[in-house]
Amino acid sequence: MTSPSSEAIASTRRRAPKEGSGALIRAGLVDMFGRRRLTRYLVGADIKRTHADTLFGQLWWIIDPLLQMGVYIILVTIIFARKTPDYPLFIFAAILPWKWFSTSLNDATLSVTGRQQLIRQIQFPKIVLPSASVIAGTLSFTFGLVALGVVYLFYLDRLTAWILLLPIIAAVQFLFTMAMAILLSALNAFFRDIQNVLRHFLRLWFYLSPGLYSLSAIAGSHKIVYDILSLNPFAVLFDSYRSVIWGSDYVIAGSANVASVTVYLPPGPPNWPGLVIVAAGSVVFMLFSILVFKRAEPAFARIL
Amino acid sequence: MTAEAEVAAIGPGDAPRREPAIDITDLGIRYDLRLTKRTTLKGSIAGMFRRSDGSENHFWALRHVNLSLAQGESLAVVGPNGAGKSTLLLALAGILQPTEGDIQTHGKVSTLLTLGAGFEVELTGRDNIDLAGAFLGIPQAEMDDLTPAIIEFADIGPFIDAPVRTYSSGMKARLGFSIATAITPDILLLDEVLGTGDQTFRSRSQVRVRELVTKARAIVLVTHDLNSISDFCNRAILIEKGRLIAEDDPKTIVALYRDRIAHQKLLAEEDAQRFATIPRTDSGS
Repeated sequence: MTSPSSEAIASTRRRAPKEGSGALIRAGLVDMFGRRRLTRYLVGADIKRTHADTLFGQLWWIIDPLLQMGVYIILVTIIFARKTPDYPLFIFAAILPWKWFSTSLNDATLSVTGRQQLIRQIQFPKIVLPSASVIAGTLSFTFGLVALGVVYLFYLDRLTAWILLLPIIAAVQFLFTMAMAILLSALNAFFRDIQNVLRHFLRLWFYLSPGLYSLSAIAGSHKIVYDILSLNPFAVLFDSYRSVIWGSDYVIAGSANVASVTVYLPPGPPNWPGLVIVAAGSVVFMLFSILVFKRAEPAFARIL
Repeated sequence: MTAEAEVAAIGPGDAPRREPAIDITDLGIRYDLRLTKRTTLKGSIAGMFRRSDGSENHFWALRHVNLSLAQGESLAVVGPNGAGKSTLLLALAGILQPTEGDIQTHGKVSTLLTLGAGFEVELTGRDNIDLAGAFLGIPQAEMDDLTPAIIEFADIGPFIDAPVRTYSSGMKARLGFSIATAITPDILLLDEVLGTGDQTFRSRSQVRVRELVTKARAIVLVTHDLNSISDFCNRAILIEKGRLIAEDDPKTIVALYRDRIAHQKLLAEEDAQRFATIPRTDSGS
C-alpha cells in the first residue's frame, strides 16, 4: 500500500505572498496547463453531473436548443411577424454558441464557491475549477452541433464549405468565455450576488446581441446604435457564426419615394477584422482574469 | 498498547539525525472579517465609504509564531477553542498562505483527514478515488497501485461502483478516510477528529492512524485529549489567542495548560461574583 519511495525529500517554502503581476500570471498559466489530469477528471465529473437525473441525459444538449429554437420561431415569426428566409437556421447560429457561453459561465461562477469544503482540505491550484467548467461546456457544445446537423437537413442549400471555419470562430469564443469564467469564479467567492445577478445579466446580454436579429440590418438606418452594439464581442461572434452557417443580409436604405430593400447573401466569410480584435482583446482579458484570480486565490480558504 | 509503544520508540533520544522537518519563522495569519462575513456587494460598497484604519475588520488567527520540528519529533498542539490550532494545521498543509513570515516543510505533508466532503456525488466511488488522487497531485501510476488497498480498507462492497449519491453517510466517511490515509506522508498532520463511522470501523481507523504515526517522520497533533498527548508526542506547544505561549515536553505543557484553565475558571467565577453583587448595591441606593 505504500508507494515505492525513491523520491528525494521535497522541501516547500511558503511565505507571505508578494509576487509581481508577471510572476502571478505565469503561475496561473502553469496551474492551468500543468494539472491536465485533474482538469480531465473534473470535466468528466461535470459532464456526468449535468442531466444525470434526466431520462434523455446528454441528449438534452441536442433537444434543448431545438426546443429553444421553436420558442423563438413562434415569438419572432408569428408574434412579431418578421420575415427572414430560413429563419430557424438563422437563429440556430446564435442559440448554440450562446447556450455554450451561458452554461459555461453559470457553472464556472459556482465552481469555486461550490467546492469550499475541498478548498479547506486540499492544496491544489483552484484555477482548474473554472477552466474545467468551460471545457465541459465546450465538449457539450461540440456534442450539441448534432442539432445543427438536424436543422441543416431542412436547408441543405445553405450548407457550404464556409461552415469549416466554424471551429475558428468557436476558438475565439472559447478564449473570451474562459477569460470571463476565470474572472467571475474568483469574484463570486467574495460577492455571492454575482451568481444571482448573472442569469438576468446574461439574458439581457443575449437580447442586446444580434442573435435573433442581424445588426447589419440596422447599419444603414441607426448608425449610432450599430456602433455601440458592435462593441459587444458577441456582435462579432454571432455575425461570424451566422455568416458561415446561414449567410448575411444588409439593408439598402430607401428614401422618400423608394422603399428600403433588404439584400440576402448566401454563406460567406466571417467578420475577420472583428474576430481578430475580439481574439486579441480576449487574450489581454484572460491575462487580466488570471491575475485577479491568482491574487484572490490565497483568500479562498479564508473566506469560504 | 503495542502501537503506542512503537510510537514511543520513535520518540526522543534515539534520533541521531536532526534534520529539520518544519521551520516556522514569525508566522502570522490574518483573517479579513469583512470577507469572512460572506459579504454581499451592497455591504462591501457601503464598507468602502466608511473605511477606518480597518483594524476592527482584521483578526490575527496566529501571530509571531516561531517553531521548528526536527525529523523524528512529534508535536502536540494544545490550547482553548479558537486559539489558532486548526489554523496552524491549515497553514502547515499549505491551504492557508502566511500573511506574514515563513513556513518551510521538508517532505510530503499529509492532507487533513476528513476528505469525504469533496466527493462528486454523481461519480462512482472508484471515480472519486481517481478524482481525489488528481486533486492531491498523485501520479496516475501511483494511484493505480493504491486503489485496491483504498477499496479494501473502505469496505463498502459493490457500492464502490455505484454513484456516491447512493452512499450512506457512514460509507462516505469510510471511503473518505480510506483515501485520505492511503498515502503515507513524511509529515503527518492530525486533527483530533478520528472517530469515523461505526464501532468496528473506528477501531480499524485508529489502527490505521497509528500505522501512519509510526511511519511518519514528523507529526503534528492537535487535540483536546490531554491524556493521550504523552503517548503520542515528545514535544508540545500551548497556543492561546494566536500566540505561542509555551513550548516544552508534553507533561509540562499539559500541566501548564491545566493551570491556566483553572486560573481562568477562577477569574471567570470572580467576575461572575462581582456581577452578581452589582445589582444589589444598585437597588440599595
